[in-house]
Amino acid sequence: MRSLGTGFWVAVALAAVGFLVVPSLILQSPIEPNMGFVQKIFYFHVPCAIMMFLSTFVCAGGSIAYLFRGSERGDRLAVAAAELGVLFGVCTLTTGPLWGRKAWGVWWQWDARLTTSLLLFLMLVAYLLARRYGGPAGRKLAAALSLFAAINVPLVYKSVDIWRTVHPKTTVVTTLDARMRIAFWSSFLLITLVWTVLLIIRMRLERARADLAALRLDAEDELAEGRP
Amino acid sequence: MTMMTAAWKRIRMALFAAMALVACTGTALAQEFEKVDNIPRQEIPAGRFVSIAYGIIWLAVLAYVVMVAAGLKRVNQEIADVKRQLGPKG
Repeated sequence: MRSLGTGFWVAVALAAVGFLVVPSLILQSPIEPNMGFVQKIFYFHVPCAIMMFLSTFVCAGGSIAYLFRGSERGDRLAVAAAELGVLFGVCTLTTGPLWGRKAWGVWWQWDARLTTSLLLFLMLVAYLLARRYGGPAGRKLAAALSLFAAINVPLVYKSVDIWRTVHPKTTVVTTLDARMRIAFWSSFLLITLVWTVLLIIRMRLERARADLAALRLDAEDELAEGRP
Repeated sequence: MTMMTAAWKRIRMALFAAMALVACTGTALAQEFEKVDNIPRQEIPAGRFVSIAYGIIWLAVLAYVVMVAAGLKRVNQEIADVKRQLGPKG
């Protein structure tokens, strides 16, 4: 079994510290006058959404390496990132409605930001389904699908500026109060660390699966050679 | 006779138009907002929502870690089994 490396354990330790520190920073940040206490969901909802975007880009990058250079490592990176995209997509799409229910009075609105986000999430789910049930060509089909998902990301991000939506604009993060900014960026750092740790362990699982497949081939070869 | 029929038609049309106008105005008036005092305000507990949102994220992450760790354990076990089958060469 390969060692996970010092960097991995440092990231785990930092994530554990962040898990304890970040909630207190969020609680100490000022209460937003319009939305009140529920606005605090913003501090982890937005980093989760950014991680969904990042996962999609990483998935597309790995898929490009797999499609054009036949890189197995790229494929492993892509599947790990796609799963994380789905994971953080679930977090984004569940924390958002909780915020919306209090701020807008409804759980869901079919506005541009929410709809394009849901579409991106479904594309990542489709990537995983294509890999699992797509047969021999499933991996390539999924890789091509991830490119379309990556194209959707800028549309999700800019949707609030292009169309009239109920969702806060992209300028929210840049115009935060100093104490809100500290809480936001520390939360962002924590979620990024968690994402990195999860990506490493998920890629490790994929690597182990590849090793197992290679070993099984060896075993089959040996069995074939041993036959009279 | 023809002039009488034409006039009667016009009167009938005017009557229909007047009736339609009255009906539309009535419907519009019925749809007007009505001020009601002392309605109990729906209070949504923000603190509970924030806690649920935070809990969902960490539960999802934890569930994923458990899932990946279980997968890793299973695959490592299978690798050990196949290596054992292969013998010293494996």
